[in-house]
Amino acid sequence: MAHVEVRQVSKIFADHTAVSNVSLTTADGEFVVLLGPSGCGKTTLLRMIAGLELPTYGDVFIGDRRVTRLQPKDRNVAMVFQNYALYPHLSVYENIAFPLRVRGANNKLTDEKVKWAAELVGLTRLLKRKPRQMSGGERQRTALARSLVRDPQVFLLDEPLSNLDAKLRHSAREELRQFQDRVGVTSLYVTHDQVEAMGLGDRIVVMEAGSVRQIGTPEEIYLDPADTFVATFIGSPPMNLVAMGDITLGFRPEDLLPKAHFADTAAITQVTLNINRVEYLGGDRLLYGRVLGNFPDTAVVARLPSTVQYAPQLGVDLAFAVANPALRRFDTATGKALPRTVEAIGRKAAHG
Amino acid sequence: MAKPGSAALAGDRLLAYTTLAPSAFLLLLLSGVPTITVFVTATQSVSTGDSSGPFVGLDNFLWAIREPMFLTALWNTFVWVFGSVVIEMLLGLGLALLLNQSFKLRGAARAVILAPYLIPTVVAVLTWRYMLHDIVGILNVILLDLHIISHPLLWLNSPSLAMFTVIMVGVWKFFPFAVIAILGILQSIPQEQYEAARIDGASSFQQFWRITMPYILPVFLLTMLLRTIWTFHKFDIIYLMTGGGPLDATTTLPVLVYLKAFDDFEFGRAAAVALLTFAILAVLLAIYFVLIRKAEARQ
Repeated sequence: MAHVEVRQVSKIFADHTAVSNVSLTTADGEFVVLLGPSGCGKTTLLRMIAGLELPTYGDVFIGDRRVTRLQPKDRNVAMVFQNYALYPHLSVYENIAFPLRVRGANNKLTDEKVKWAAELVGLTRLLKRKPRQMSGGERQRTALARSLVRDPQVFLLDEPLSNLDAKLRHSAREELRQFQDRVGVTSLYVTHDQVEAMGLGDRIVVMEAGSVRQIGTPEEIYLDPADTFVATFIGSPPMNLVAMGDITLGFRPEDLLPKAHFADTAAITQVTLNINRVEYLGGDRLLYGRVLGNFPDTAVVARLPSTVQYAPQLGVDLAFAVANPALRRFDTATGKALPRTVEAIGRKAAHG
Repeated sequence: MAKPGSAALAGDRLLAYTTLAPSAFLLLLLSGVPTITVFVTATQSVSTGDSSGPFVGLDNFLWAIREPMFLTALWNTFVWVFGSVVIEMLLGLGLALLLNQSFKLRGAARAVILAPYLIPTVVAVLTWRYMLHDIVGILNVILLDLHIISHPLLWLNSPSLAMFTVIMVGVWKFFPFAVIAILGILQSIPQEQYEAARIDGASSFQQFWRITMPYILPVFLLTMLLRTIWTFHKFDIIYLMTGGGPLDATTTLPVLVYLKAFDDFEFGRAAAVALLTFAILAVLLAIYFVLIRKAEARQ
């Protein structure tokens, strides 16, 4: 086990900057998710940690060793690829054994390790199969087992669940997390799927356009987004943003509730909501509408749990509210989050 | 009891046979008739320009397997095929691996490599014969100037050198086929396989043996099979280069068939040699097909 540190790393390709001055440190055994839209540089960052790409600037450390210029094989990392990169002509057994074979391990040790890894991911019965005879989930587990047999210090996973169908992805996610808890190896996991990121990560690194926007636990990132990009990238539907001059107010759809729902004594901010569409999702209802009244006319979404008794009327001004602690404020010009204090909001209101 | 629609089906059949008939007739005329004729001629003693002669059973075949000339031609054919195909495949593999790397002017290099394959055989052979001429040929001039040889070599006129020379010209003409076929399959290997192998600790050599070779093997063997068939019955290059000489040194089975038929006018014996050639090739092909099946089953 070892921690991973990325120090002021940039990667500049001929025509564009893929990663721009990224710094990041993981704890031993931590599960860190790199999250961002496609093209944000998350995979390039992972490949630099793996040694498949050379950083243009900056350094990569694994443990206390500077590995920036080491070959991938000398870094003791294991990687699971998006399409698994299994060797089509080899059986599952030989695929898992591959890292040991190329290192010249003896047959007895190889056999023990392969069986141990196969057992860990539940492939014991399929060892004689060829990759093409297996389902997506089984291939993914084969790739995982192959990455295991060498006792790597770091696991690197590049969207390993994206080739699975939705149902399988959910169970595979759970298995993956349990598996990581069991082996306790520092893991870096790349995904563009925020649900995966929230569910798997001890911490999430949100990236956009080659830069890190925020590093934090899933709670921190969801509750206190560092800027409007993170606020709208995380959460489905995303955080509502209402620009009010220099300051942009933000609130999550589930925090926008009918005013009657709040106690009379609660510190709330009143909002006039005009609903134009209701989406019933089973557990929730999404109310699409516009905020009016004290606020500039802006499209917003409210999420009401189905357990809340409320019959929304369309096209009518309704009294809604957000609890003051749930309000977030951003600088409209830079998009950066502003300190969260009730007094600050009060002062702003007094000025306004 | 006619099933519903069977009339329509019969109509479809009729249409199918009618439209196929012209092609089938042409095929029969151009391929079937000559094949049958060869079988018939092989059992006859035809030793003039006539098209048929008295029936002699298997005499022509018995003659062939006792005839030193036939055994010489058989041996020459194996040398010619084995030498050509092995060198072509190794050269093709090496160049395909090289052309699969990224470097400047790669596109131009790929085009240049194809050139020999596109030059008409007669043009290529005449040019080579001129370059290989013992007195005025450029090859001897260069080798003499560089003091690699002390006297001009008789590339095509020495029985010990002629086969080597013909093989080299054949290789030059046909190795691009192997390059293109192998390059095609090399380009289809997913890059992640190599990246995974690099992380797993495989050296360049191990990546080649454990990933590249198994991946390209079926195509490699298939290319080798095609080149074997085509080289086995190759006639034009050899005949145009040497006419089968000197002293039968380059007389392969197809050349022997030609010489028997059109120099000696022994059509019966020529037909027998042609059929024996066909039989030997068929055995070789059977062996190859088994090999290819095995290679593909491993995928």
